[in-house]
Amino acid sequence: MLDPFFSKWHGIDRTTIEWGPKIDPEKCTGCGLCVVTCGERRNVFGYDVEAKKAVVMAPLHCMVGCDNCAMGCLWDAITFPDDTEYVRRLSRSIPKHQIALELEKKLQDNPHLVVEGESELPSRR
Amino acid sequence: MAAKEWHGVDRSTLRWHPIIDEEKCTNCGLCLLTCGAGVFGYEKPINRFFVLNPGNCTLGCTTCGKVCPEAAISFPESSKVFIRNVIKQGKIFPKVKEELKARLEKFPEHELHQVNN
Repeated sequence: MLDPFFSKWHGIDRTTIEWGPKIDPEKCTGCGLCVVTCGERRNVFGYDVEAKKAVVMAPLHCMVGCDNCAMGCLWDAITFPDDTEYVRRLSRSIPKHQIALELEKKLQDNPHLVVEGESELPSRR
Repeated sequence: MAAKEWHGVDRSTLRWHPIIDEEKCTNCGLCLLTCGAGVFGYEKPINRFFVLNPGNCTLGCTTCGKVCPEAAISFPESSKVFIRNVIKQGKIFPKVKEELKARLEKFPEHELHQVNN
């Protein structure tokens, strides 16, 4: 199942991108942290209440580059593709105009992220 | 704004945020696009992306760092080591249990019964 909202990642067909969690049910203790760490909109996991195990329900909803669930799994039951440069190579293949279009919209929708003058800035330099 | 919490742990006492290497950064803006927490800002007069709200960064998240085409973003320490310390020291599991119950009530189709993984 793939929500149309997540069908593309910066213009790239999401079904061609290999990124999502895999759970080893032997290692999963059913703590549920992965289920609730994943955001409600993406909601990649389900939870088997009888077996007391997390289950990957919607791997294609997984945010490309996010592996927060695996980092937090104390039992190392969650794995992601281990090629750390894979996502970076994908990023480099995003057309520049695609990023520009999306940025324009996001900044329009989130004016609080736009700083107009240097005086408003926290010191950084 | 209400105090930011991560599964019951007070976010304000913890240091976790991206650090941009300005030598490597090409200002493509993908970090701002990918972040759902509003960490990055855009400084319009000089057309620059920067860390505007470090305290908004989701604890242990390194997504912007992984998608950065130039590998220009780093974090104060290893995500795995950091977040597992927070989990253990914060004794978060009672809260996680409540959150799981609430999640399954809100999204009943995510409550499964004896499926083989």
